[in-house]
Amino acid sequence: MLKVTNLETTYNDIILSLKGISLEVPPAKIVALLGANGSGKTTTLNTISGIRKTIDLAVEDGVIEFEGQVINEKEPYRIVSMGISQVPEGRRIFAELTVEENIMIGSYVLADRKKFPLSLETVFGYFPILKERRRQLAGYLSGGEQQMLAIARALIADPRLIMLDEPSLGIAPLVVKEIFEIVSTINKERGVAILLVEQNANVALSIAHYGYILENGRIVMEGSSEVLRENKDIKEFYLGLTDVGTKKSFRDVKHYKRRKRWLS
Amino acid sequence: MEKIIEILFNGLSMGAIYALMALGFVLIFKSTGVINFAQGELAMVGAFICYSFATMMNVPYIYAFFIALIGGLILGAVVYQVFFRTMVGEPLFSTIMVTVGLASILTCLAGLIWGHDVYSLNSPFTDKVIHLDKITFAQGSISTIIVSIVLFVIVILFFNRSLLGISMRGSAEDPDTAGLMGINVKKIHMVAWALGGLVAAVAGMFLAEQSFVRLAMSNVGLKAMAAAILGGMESISGAIVGGIIIGVVEGLAANYLSGMSLGNFHMGDIKDVAAFVIMIIVLMIRPHGIFGKEKVERV
Repeated sequence: MLKVTNLETTYNDIILSLKGISLEVPPAKIVALLGANGSGKTTTLNTISGIRKTIDLAVEDGVIEFEGQVINEKEPYRIVSMGISQVPEGRRIFAELTVEENIMIGSYVLADRKKFPLSLETVFGYFPILKERRRQLAGYLSGGEQQMLAIARALIADPRLIMLDEPSLGIAPLVVKEIFEIVSTINKERGVAILLVEQNANVALSIAHYGYILENGRIVMEGSSEVLRENKDIKEFYLGLTDVGTKKSFRDVKHYKRRKRWLS
Repeated sequence: MEKIIEILFNGLSMGAIYALMALGFVLIFKSTGVINFAQGELAMVGAFICYSFATMMNVPYIYAFFIALIGGLILGAVVYQVFFRTMVGEPLFSTIMVTVGLASILTCLAGLIWGHDVYSLNSPFTDKVIHLDKITFAQGSISTIIVSIVLFVIVILFFNRSLLGISMRGSAEDPDTAGLMGINVKKIHMVAWALGGLVAAVAGMFLAEQSFVRLAMSNVGLKAMAAAILGGMESISGAIVGGIIIGVVEGLAANYLSGMSLGNFHMGDIKDVAAFVIMIIVLMIRPHGIFGKEKVERV
């Protein structure tokens, strides 16, 4: 469905950010893209969704294909109308608009306007809390509710692929769990493919079918989430577990000395 | 008593004109971040278009009015396409200078087409009055106020109810995210400029009806900018309130202060100063304008 091949991007024409990554999102599957700060996760999403001009990001090489069409040079609004919605990092809801108006903006691309009230109810079905607050200014919602609103806003456009950029950012663990459960339900019930960018590997791998590990602009490892979860290095560096499966002790001062095997 | 009501009423009708012009500033500034110094010139061109059709070609006034309205709409859109399509997001100073240049260009073009004379625009309301008890109302003022109210209601409904209007508010807040919602932000900017041109044309025609059609009428743009800043520059209701305050204050100053003299010093035409005095006082008390908001950011 979404296929990225050898993508290479630069910032300001000089800083190489993605160094040739390839990934694929099959239909109706959840794919996790994991990595630490600055590894290029958000850059990948922004490159796919086309917001490049304002952040001085450019594609140097590679192909982004969505359902067989090359979308490298398309404007963001065209990409959305093709069926890719992005939930941006840090939620980026419209704080001065009400909850309902936020969702309405998300429906901008719907060709069939008559469907709108119907899908509004569907979306509220997934996020009942938003229905209660539909007339409130979105800026006054809590972080978790804002994240739900951001997902709802993407969902209303009836996309075939949702790209979620760190939905767990700055949100209480319990609410994170709730949000991920909703995301999983949406994936199952509506058959929407999801590209999930996360630092919280544990929770991301719990719902994903497949995962990629991104480091320094390169994909260093990929595999189904079961395989990734069992991998020794991932256990140690992303899940914070030692070989035995117990929590890592920081008394063990040599823990940082072990090199990740995929870094040569 | 009758006099004060008349003064207030005339002030209100001038205020409605300022409010319309200020609305143009706010629309364009809020959605595109450009402070349009050519707003007065857009109004002037609108008035000239109406004059050409109504007086020179003897088209019925109401048709001329709508032709000028559409003319303003197209002019706004064309100005955006030609000058600002590539300027969005550029530094504020360069965009402001472009609008200043645009103002001169429009004045020049209007001078070439219509000449530098003073014309009068004959509308069905010219020189007609309504007497109510002892108070005299000019029909022109009444029509100005009514049409302005209708226009304001339409604009407010547009921004609060229609998808396009809500999208415009969203794009104003965060253009990048609006792009992610599938909104063509460039189209939104063009709509804002077109609407700005439309309200400017309406204001220009009403102004011409109350005085004359001439190149210098674009000076009203500066006072309207004072009204927009007074209202907070980002708020539609602010533009309306700011416009009315400036119109009424100007009317009061013209009637009560103009004739005064201190010894050998005559106040003269103080009404043009009054608008700016009010603006300065309000801005000293509320630097963000009456309806302006300090940006509150959630970290």
